Amino acid sequence: MDFTLSAEQLLLKDSVARFAADQASARDHWKTFGELGWLAVGAPEDLGGFGGPVETLLLMEQLGRGLVISPFVAQAVFSGAILRAANRLDLLEESIEGRQRFAVAYEEPQARYDPARIETSARRDGDGWILDGEKVRVLDASTAAAFLVSADTGAGIALFAVPANAPGITLTAYPAEDGYDVANVRLANVRAGNDTLVGGLGSGLELLELGIDHASAALCAEALGMCAVMLEATVEYTKQRFQFGVPLSSFQALQHRMADMYVELELLRSAAYFAAMTLESESDPTSRKRGISAAKAQVARSGRFVGQQAIQLHGGIGMSEEYKVGRYFKRMTLVERLLGDRDYHVRRYIELARTPARQSVSV
Amino acid sequence: MDLTFSPEQLAFRDEVREFIATHLPPDIRRKMQTGDKLEKDDYYRWHRILFERGWAAPTWPKALGGTGWDAIRNHLFLEEMARGWAPRMLPFGLNMVAPVITEFGNDAQRERFLPKILSGEEFWCQGYSEPGAGSDLASLSTKAERKGDTYVIDGTKTWITAAQWADWIFVLARTDASAKKQEGISFILVDMKTPGVSVRPIVTIDGGTEINEVHLEHVEVPVANRVGDEGAGWTYAKFLLEHERTGTAGIAGCRQILEQLDELRVREKNDDRRLEERMAEIDIELTALAFTELRVLAAESAGKRPGPESSILKLRGTEIQQGLTELLLDAGGPYFEPPLARWYYNYRKASIYAGSNEIQKNIIAKRILKV
Repeated sequence: MDFTLSAEQLLLKDSVARFAADQASARDHWKTFGELGWLAVGAPEDLGGFGGPVETLLLMEQLGRGLVISPFVAQAVFSGAILRAANRLDLLEESIEGRQRFAVAYEEPQARYDPARIETSARRDGDGWILDGEKVRVLDASTAAAFLVSADTGAGIALFAVPANAPGITLTAYPAEDGYDVANVRLANVRAGNDTLVGGLGSGLELLELGIDHASAALCAEALGMCAVMLEATVEYTKQRFQFGVPLSSFQALQHRMADMYVELELLRSAAYFAAMTLESESDPTSRKRGISAAKAQVARSGRFVGQQAIQLHGGIGMSEEYKVGRYFKRMTLVERLLGDRDYHVRRYIELARTPARQSVSV
Repeated sequence: MDLTFSPEQLAFRDEVREFIATHLPPDIRRKMQTGDKLEKDDYYRWHRILFERGWAAPTWPKALGGTGWDAIRNHLFLEEMARGWAPRMLPFGLNMVAPVITEFGNDAQRERFLPKILSGEEFWCQGYSEPGAGSDLASLSTKAERKGDTYVIDGTKTWITAAQWADWIFVLARTDASAKKQEGISFILVDMKTPGVSVRPIVTIDGGTEINEVHLEHVEVPVANRVGDEGAGWTYAKFLLEHERTGTAGIAGCRQILEQLDELRVREKNDDRRLEERMAEIDIELTALAFTELRVLAAESAGKRPGPESSILKLRGTEIQQGLTELLLDAGGPYFEPPLARWYYNYRKASIYAGSNEIQKNIIAKRILKV
């Protein structure tokens, strides 16, 4: 147990922090991230990869601090974890070198975050497959060269790496309040060759859950960076803002609220670290999923509190679009719910823990 | 960054687990599980067993008969104690007065007091709060008037846990009435058998009699029983309070209550989904708090003194403890046997003692956020 950073980790943290502070309004950082080598975080060393979940945490925390809008979570962490676990090192190599961009298309209108509840189908057609269905909330869809699409094959859920320009694919992009690139993806009679299969026929769900867990941990780290900034800004503001002839920060009601924010922030920090630790050390999928659900649920709860109180303690200025706290708050509000909100993860946490003793309750 | 326990730490944890499973007297374990009151002898017997194993004083340095464990091992030890339903050692001697005597006392005091705290022969209690001085402790009015080599102490101390069992009490008393509030206070050790010391039990809302009022009337104490400098008691008091706050998160104890809750749900055939979700949410928060504790401990074992961050542990730890007793209460229902309500009533104290939770928020605001 050692929470100090190694020299390499410090270097990574500092360089991401510098990037996050300097970046102007650039929208897409894929190329830059590739040049800086950050797309290789967590990849096997012989592909030029380095680090793992802790490095992802350090990177995401700094991106969160800078409120950097980037395809890193969707196109590097999420898809990367899947390609790695499915042993598709050919595709992973293209991804970390920045040549190919994969977005994961798994959620469906009726699914309520659950990757198992899908209606998209894959039926055999000669030596390939025909895919039909609709995917929603596909993150960073419009810049992806291919989608990792989940579909029910009749022999379990499988993942297919379908080129974004394949005939039968329609993208409906819509504006997102956090500025992200999001779209629904319709698949109508889309042909996919056998070589597009990522993992085995029945392994799609486990691969997806693994990818969701890695991406969720990354979102937890992003939330950490954002909430730290929101608390700092709130403390700073209440010291400078005078009412009744004194700084707002001199009122105990506000001091206690900020102390509450601090406690929530530290619990959130712990949850983000716990998520990284879970990914580092947990080889059993059930324990891993439980750990991530615990972390994501805590981050959702603490993050919502910190965000709401940051707006409240700023007063009117907190409502203003041009002031930064509002923008952090909106992104935090998305991060809370992306890949599963608090209710979903609390339920997942409960279901995964069902022991024979507990099942007897419902009989 | 390495966020896992080392193999040595895990082996140590297993060793402690095994020891508690085989050495904790079954009658004490039963009392702990049912929430029955422990007697002085129960604490004493368990203390002796740990003493003989060399584990009575996990936080003390080796030279004084402690274990010399770092903060992580101490944490693992406490977690295993709670997990195995072992009573926690009373902190007043081991964790409160002993560090003060060690740090600020003289050799004679160290030789006189520390061995008997270590062996469990002498029980201690804490003379801090007064009827007129609670959160504002520095406004205390108990006075110690110096007459030659003797202090004559007059005053009332209150909310004193285990005073009915104690052989000694450490008292904060005003030795200089003209000095500023925080100055003029001294830290004095008083033998409970001294004439003029009387103990009156205070019955609490859960029916318990674990706390007391202690009256000091013309109590004559040798000046040699003052720890450190005259008038510097406030510094020692603050030092002690920081020690008191660490380890009050009570994570493992909370996990035990969660398990009891789960058993209760099964036994009562309670399939209330709302209850299940409230339990899961507390369980999750507990995980986050446990990890927060590890971060504080890792900093401590890297050599840092316990800092204001430990306020988080006290604050949220006691809130979670209270939340759990609330869940037990709700899971049981009215007039439920065994009396779960007793725990609920008893735990209301947790957010008041060791610096009320509102005081913890003041500490966080002033010392961490610097507002």
